[in-house]
Amino acid sequence: MSQYNKVTPELIEQFRQIAPNRVSVNGDINDDFTHDEMPIYGKACPEVVIEATSTEEVAAVMKLCYENSIPVTPRGAGTGLTGGAVALCGGVVLSTTKMNKILGYDKENLNVRVQSGVLLNDLAEDAIKQGLLYPPDPGEKFATLGGNVANNAGGMRAVKYGTTRDYVRAMTVVLPTGEIVRLGASVSKSSSGYSLLHLMIGSEGTLGIITELTLKLIPQPKEVVSLIVLFENLEECIAAVPQIMLAHLQPQALEFMEREIVISSEAYLGKSVFPQEFEGSQVNAYLLITFDGENADQLDEIIEKASEVVLEAGALDVLVADTPALKKDAWAARSSFLEAIEAQTKLLDECDVVVPTSRIAEYLTYIKSIEADYGFEIKSFGHAGDGNLHIYTCSNDMELEDFKSQVHDFMKKAYAKATEFGGLISGEHGIGHGKQAYLSEMAGPVNMRLMKEIKSVFDPKAILNPGKVCLKL
Amino acid sequence: MEILVCIKQVPDDAAEIRLKADGTPDLDGVAQVVNAFDTYALEMATRLKEAVGGEITVISVGGESARDALKTCLAVGAQHAFLLTDPAFEGSDSLGKARILATAKAKLEEKSGKPFDLIFCGLEATDKATGQTGAQLAELLNLPLITNLTDISYENGTVTAKQETDFGYNLIDSAAPCVVTVNTPAYAPRYPTIKSKLAAKKMPIDPISLADLGEDAGKVGKQAALTRTVRFAEPPQKVAGVKIKEETCEDSARRAVAMMVEAKAL
Repeated sequence: MSQYNKVTPELIEQFRQIAPNRVSVNGDINDDFTHDEMPIYGKACPEVVIEATSTEEVAAVMKLCYENSIPVTPRGAGTGLTGGAVALCGGVVLSTTKMNKILGYDKENLNVRVQSGVLLNDLAEDAIKQGLLYPPDPGEKFATLGGNVANNAGGMRAVKYGTTRDYVRAMTVVLPTGEIVRLGASVSKSSSGYSLLHLMIGSEGTLGIITELTLKLIPQPKEVVSLIVLFENLEECIAAVPQIMLAHLQPQALEFMEREIVISSEAYLGKSVFPQEFEGSQVNAYLLITFDGENADQLDEIIEKASEVVLEAGALDVLVADTPALKKDAWAARSSFLEAIEAQTKLLDECDVVVPTSRIAEYLTYIKSIEADYGFEIKSFGHAGDGNLHIYTCSNDMELEDFKSQVHDFMKKAYAKATEFGGLISGEHGIGHGKQAYLSEMAGPVNMRLMKEIKSVFDPKAILNPGKVCLKL
Repeated sequence: MEILVCIKQVPDDAAEIRLKADGTPDLDGVAQVVNAFDTYALEMATRLKEAVGGEITVISVGGESARDALKTCLAVGAQHAFLLTDPAFEGSDSLGKARILATAKAKLEEKSGKPFDLIFCGLEATDKATGQTGAQLAELLNLPLITNLTDISYENGTVTAKQETDFGYNLIDSAAPCVVTVNTPAYAPRYPTIKSKLAAKKMPIDPISLADLGEDAGKVGKQAALTRTVRFAEPPQKVAGVKIKEETCEDSARRAVAMMVEAKAL
C-alpha cells in the first residue's frame, strides 16, 4: 500500500480557500504540468495544481499535505532537464510562477530580493536598468530563479563569476511540515553553524520549497566584447582553452561548439552568423568567448592578447562581436542550441557531465570513439571554460525502447569516464529522477546514506518531490 | 569602382529608450552604434567591391563620438573614413545633412581626383526614421536614385538593383553614378576580424569642417532647418490581450467575432 494518500474533494476545497481561483484539478490540468523539457523520462499528471502567490499560501498548502500525507512536487517554469518537476506520485504540483515579483534592490549592499517565481530573464533585464548585473547566465533564460537555485544552475558566465550558489545570500523556505524558515542573511560572510542555505541550494525541491531569495548582484561591467574563434578541428579548438586560462585573461564566458550544432541552430533561427568556411578551409569547431572590462582600451588589449593566444594555438581566424547587434546575434545562436536540437529531433536524451578543463579534449575524444557503437547521433557543446559539457543523444529513426536501452548503456560509460577523470555526472542540470540510476554509482554508499539521512531530517514523511535525487520510489 | 557610403551614428535600436522629464529621450547609458540600415548598406557595398574591385569611402555627419562609428566601418570593408563635423552643422535637418554630404562628396572627389560611381545610404535611420536623406542627396547631386534595395550588381557601367516591393521585387537598371538606399538584405553584416579591427584602430579619420567644405553657413545647421521636431512621444503601452474561453470552439469563435464587430474591426 502506498505511503501517500489521494487528494480528497474536502482537501481540494481547503486548497481553494487557501488559493482562490488558482487550483486546477484532474481534467483541467494543462499538459505542460505533466513533464519538463526532457519528456523522455516519462510524464505524470498530478491530481491538483496550485499556483501560489505567497510564502504563506505555500506554507498553508504544505501543512495540509503534511498532515494528510499528500505528495507535493514543487515546480518553477518547468524548464528542467531531468524530470525533477514531474509529479511521479500524483498529489499536488505547487507552481511558483505566479510568485513573480522583484521585491526591491538594496544598492548599498548590492542585493536584490525576489520572489522565487521571477524569471531569470526578467531579473537580468531589470538589474541592467539599475546598472547592475546578476552574473549567473544559464542558457534557458525563462527558468524561474527558484528553479535555478534549486538546481544550482551554472551557465555561460560561470567561468569568471561562478554558479548560482555564489549569488544566493539568503532565502525563505517552506519545509515539508509547513514551517517557514529564513536561511542565510544579506551579508557577505558566514561562519554561523551548518549552512542550511547551501544545503538547500541544489536540493532540487526535495528538502523545502524556496519562496523568496536575496541574491547578490555586481556592478554592470562597462564594456563587453565577444570573440568568435574559428578552428579547422575540435581537438585544436579545445586545446586552445587551457592556453587562454594560462594567459590569465579571465574570460566571462568560454563556450565551444561543433559545426553540426551551429548549422542546426542557424537553420532553426533562420540566420547565418558563424562562418562555415574560411579561406578554403572548412570550419569544424568554434570558441565563443566573452571578455568584460572597465573601458574600451583595456578590453582591446585583452582581446588582442587572447587572439594572439588562440591564433598561436591553431585558430583559423578571430571575429570580433563588438556592437550590441553582433553580440546579440552570436549569443542568440548559442542560446538556441537546445531548442534547435529539440525542434529537429524525435528522440532526445542528454547528459551534462563536468570534467576538469584540462581533460575536456580527452573526454570528447572518448565520447566520439564510442559513438559508432550506437544507433543515435551525438551532438555536443558546452562550457569549455569550466569543463561542463552538454552531450545530446539524438535519433529520428530508432524505436523508443531501443533508444532508451542504448542511451542507458552510453550514459553508464559516459558517466564512468567522467568520474574516472575526476569529474561529476552533472554540472548544472541536476539529478531529478532521470539521472538517479547513475548517482549512487558515482557518489558511493556513504555519500548516498548521508544524503538519505539528510532528506529524512527535513522530510520525515518523504512527501516533498518524491522519487527524486537520492530517494528512489 | 569608387563607392561612397553615408552613415549615421544612432542610439542602439534594441535599447528601451524612455523620455526624460523635459520630454527629450533619455540616452544616458544607451550605446551609440552605426544605424542598422547603414550597416546593411556597407555590407552590400563591400560585397560589390569584392566582386568588381575598387575602394569604399565612408562619411558621417556628427560629433566626435561618430568617430567610433566610422572606425567600426573601417573594420568591415571601408578603406577611407571622414568625419563631417562642425558646431555649425548641429541641429541640421535631413536636408541640411544631405547638403553637407553632397558638398563633402564633391570635395572628396576633387581631392582624390576619382569620382564616386555609387553612393550608398541606409533606407532610413533607426532614430528619427524620416527616410529622406538618401533621396535629398540624389536630388542635390542631380543623380538617379534607386530606393529600398535588397541586392545590387554592377557590370559595364550599369548598376542592377533588386528593389523590394509589397508584392515581390523589381529589377532596376541605372547608369552609374547613382544613389541607392538599402533595406535589409538576405545576408547579415560581417563581423570584423581581430586583424581588421586592430588595423582600423590605426587608420586616420580626418575631420572635415564647414570651412573645409566651403559651404554657406546659412544653408546648414539649426537656423537653416526646414523641419523641426515638435515633441517626442513614447509608443503606447501594449494593453493586455483578452482570453476568450467559452464552452465550445464555436462559442469562442462567435464571441471573438462579436468583440471585433463591437470594436468596429469588422
